[in-house]
Amino acid sequence: MPQKKIHLPAPAAVQSVAVNTRKLSRVGARPAFLDYLVRLWDFREFIFYDARARVLNGTRRDRLGSLWLILNPVLNGLTYYVIFGLLLNTGRGIPNFVGYLVVGIFLFQLSAAAVTSGARSVHNNKSVVQAFNFPRAALVVGANLRELLKGVPMLLAMLLILVVLPPAEPITWRWILIVPAVALQFIFNLGVGLVLARIVAKVHDVTHLIPFALRVWMYGSAIFYSYDRFVTHPELLAWLKINPLFNLIDIVRSCVLYATLPAWQSWALLAAWALGAAAVGLVFFWKGEESYGRS
Amino acid sequence: MAEVEEAVDIDGHPCVVVDQVSMRYRVPSSEDVVAGSDKRRGLMRRLSPRQAIVTVEALNALSLVVERGESVGIIGRNGSGKSTLMKLISGQLQPSSGSVLASSTPVMLGVNAALVPDLSGHQNIILGCLAMGLKRREIAARFDEIVELSGLAESIHLPMKSYSSGMASRLRFAIAASLDPEILLVDEALNTGDAEFGDRSKQRMDELRAQAGCVFLVSHNLSTIKSLCTRVIWLDRGHLIMDAAPDQAVAAYVAFTRSLSQGRMGAAGRIRGDARRKLVATQIEQRTSLRRKGRD
Repeated sequence: MPQKKIHLPAPAAVQSVAVNTRKLSRVGARPAFLDYLVRLWDFREFIFYDARARVLNGTRRDRLGSLWLILNPVLNGLTYYVIFGLLLNTGRGIPNFVGYLVVGIFLFQLSAAAVTSGARSVHNNKSVVQAFNFPRAALVVGANLRELLKGVPMLLAMLLILVVLPPAEPITWRWILIVPAVALQFIFNLGVGLVLARIVAKVHDVTHLIPFALRVWMYGSAIFYSYDRFVTHPELLAWLKINPLFNLIDIVRSCVLYATLPAWQSWALLAAWALGAAAVGLVFFWKGEESYGRS
Repeated sequence: MAEVEEAVDIDGHPCVVVDQVSMRYRVPSSEDVVAGSDKRRGLMRRLSPRQAIVTVEALNALSLVVERGESVGIIGRNGSGKSTLMKLISGQLQPSSGSVLASSTPVMLGVNAALVPDLSGHQNIILGCLAMGLKRREIAARFDEIVELSGLAESIHLPMKSYSSGMASRLRFAIAASLDPEILLVDEALNTGDAEFGDRSKQRMDELRAQAGCVFLVSHNLSTIKSLCTRVIWLDRGHLIMDAAPDQAVAAYVAFTRSLSQGRMGAAGRIRGDARRKLVATQIEQRTSLRRKGRD
């Protein structure tokens, strides 16, 4: 129905009213950054419950249920092994290529799933955003937490494969270093997810670009080839060295496959990426707080 | 031209202040683009049909002050902007201009609260309450009441996507009603249950209204409005027509709609115009402290 302008007479008078607004605050206003973080902490019960409930219900439709959490990366690993290991032979010169590949694939999948899930979390939950008043970053944290919970059985399966398949790797105390490494990875994924979530909430098209970006990232992380391949190309090597995912995979490989302590530089780089991404992500996301949920 | 009267101070702290709030949407319209304004020929026009974007003024600039203890009814025809005003006060929408100030987060009791279809009713109750800011202990204390109010009994453990729309609406209402809000907004569309649910929900609403600082109620049921409200606002086509005592406002509105339904557009327009001419619009001056004026 076309909107016709209706003709209304002006009101009789305009009464100016002075109001003490000291105890009032704007509805739906974005809190100050530190207040926002405090609120986010206050909503931790919501975040945990949301993550747990959705993980439990996630695979209910499938016959094999939660088994797919592990089967998926295993099948992925198998495919890459056949194509890159056997057919293209990129694994030449790498001892225990299967182990090398498995670590790379599983860790990459953790990040890929977390980033994708985080990016979509605000857009997909628009109805929850419109219905309730809570710090929206809770959705991104929840999505990442969910993926971490799903990731734990994945990592255990990965370690099992390394121990069981020949050449069986010995379990050393260095295996415990996987925990801080994955923790840093979680923080990094969260930061990236926060940035993407705000972008996707505004421009949904970006969702279609994310799989391509992830693919490029995967190829640039030395998952199915060795770092040595690019020894003759220092620029490419430099890119590889800066890649946080490569550093993460390198750290875990050192601990698990080569029983050596990873170089402190790898840790430093990974930590810098993680904390940097988290800081940038939180601020960037917080700035857009009032815009989520607007149709 | 309306004159600005001398400023009046509001003593104490109001509950809700609506300051020159308006809402404007830009939406695509399927109305055909006027021929002649579109100069592209043949194929280009077919490949990329231009969609007109129109601006819809859902609400024109409006100011209100609502104090503690007031129960404000909002009446008007469909499309008058009632729901828009409610959403603006609750914070669900951000106004195109102006702002809404409140002494605490308003809670909207409606059937809009979104829940997760894949999860069970039980899980959604916990999730919804957590999303509203309650702690687990508080939720545990209220859980049984919520289930009882919703009338779902055993179905509470089934996934929400298997619920009928009535069941889902009742659950949403029960969850929202478990809070004890200071500012309560009630949307009329609560007739989503049988008589039994109707009685229980009315009882709960009475309890909430007794505890709340101020209440806003949107309803087409004018007798409810007259019996429950201390003040009534009449909106029409996004404009504020009247802000007065319930009897007066409802009487004028009834006369207006009766004229419309009898096809007497002129008479209806006159009723509306008269009401509007008697309106004293509000202009807010925000202060962080008030000087006591010597008044008799």
